[in-house]
Amino acid sequence: MSLDDLLPFLSSRDGALEIFNLKRLPRVTLYFRAGRLHCIYLGNKPVDSLQARSVIGELIEARKGSFEFIPGARPAACSRPLGWPVDRMLISVTTTYDEYAQVADQLPHPETVFTLTHIAVPDDTRISDFWKRSYIYLQEGASAQKLSQKLGMPLDHCRFYLHKLRQLGAVAPARATAQQKKKPQRAGVAARLLSSLKKRFFGEENAWSR
Amino acid sequence: MEPLKVVVAGPVGAGKSTLIRTLSETAVVDTDALASEDIGKPTTTVAMDYGTIHLGDQLLYLFGTPGQDRFDFMWDVLSEGALGLLLLIRGDKPEDFVPARRLLDYLTSRQPVPYVLGVTRQDQPPVWGPEEVAPFFGVPLERVVGINAKNPQSAAKPLIRLVELIAAEEAAS
Repeated sequence: MSLDDLLPFLSSRDGALEIFNLKRLPRVTLYFRAGRLHCIYLGNKPVDSLQARSVIGELIEARKGSFEFIPGARPAACSRPLGWPVDRMLISVTTTYDEYAQVADQLPHPETVFTLTHIAVPDDTRISDFWKRSYIYLQEGASAQKLSQKLGMPLDHCRFYLHKLRQLGAVAPARATAQQKKKPQRAGVAARLLSSLKKRFFGEENAWSR
Repeated sequence: MEPLKVVVAGPVGAGKSTLIRTLSETAVVDTDALASEDIGKPTTTVAMDYGTIHLGDQLLYLFGTPGQDRFDFMWDVLSEGALGLLLLIRGDKPEDFVPARRLLDYLTSRQPVPYVLGVTRQDQPPVWGPEEVAPFFGVPLERVVGINAKNPQSAAKPLIRLVELIAAEEAAS
């Protein structure tokens, strides 16, 4: 049974769905209350909403795992309850994964550094959660790889969110030319080269501009 | 005088080997091999192309990097300490713009290397021109030059533009 079939079935009950024997994740516990996803634990720790989306996405992708439902179980602590209606959450995560599949070959290299172009929270809640968590790092410049480590998210999810932020004009690749360190031994070299190159290929320096 | 190197990068079939052959004054050392998959041409570069230009007592190396993603480890190695980067893109193949932008973003965000984009096949319209390519890559128009990689004067234009930009930066600093 797939997770997107299982969740609507169980979500009408209060309790915890424990999922284990997963290839890429430790034990995941989903707590339901009043038909909503109340809280997610990854191992022994609750996750924030950004990580929660990634965890649900990973669970949908996982295909293999074991589960057990514990009726009435409540989390030990959940300082920021998610309160997500399960059906809408599934649609949102599935949409994100469909989008991801469409742009997979356009995603930035994991080590490409991005910086903020302006500070304005995107409207889309999927993107804004990522933006809020990452903008501190993006102010200085950060790659998907760095954000993956800092935010505890899968690398490809960070690449996807950076791609979306770039489409929204919120981030741009950092161009190292802007912070280029001057190499003293090369000072004046370019001016000399320029003259020689123009003569070499255009015969005389002024012919270049014709 | 310390030789300088210019890295010529870009997707498969962008014209990197052609440009280096056109500009180099010595026989180009190329490492073309029969393509093992359909890439739109019979051979492709599997290590790197290498050519030279002597400008007075200054030697300029031209290194062409393989276009396939699996060689991306070489992009860093070749770009480190380079005078500049020429990124070539086929003007009649917009589907290659995305991987080319990915390469440009990766290299320029990691290495402090000045760059210019060369949009090839300008002699074979219909092609995308510099005015259309620059916004897609998010770079100033002055950093994009339309060329025909087989014509020496045209092929030299992105190199000259690159050196012009470096000279202007030097003068300003």
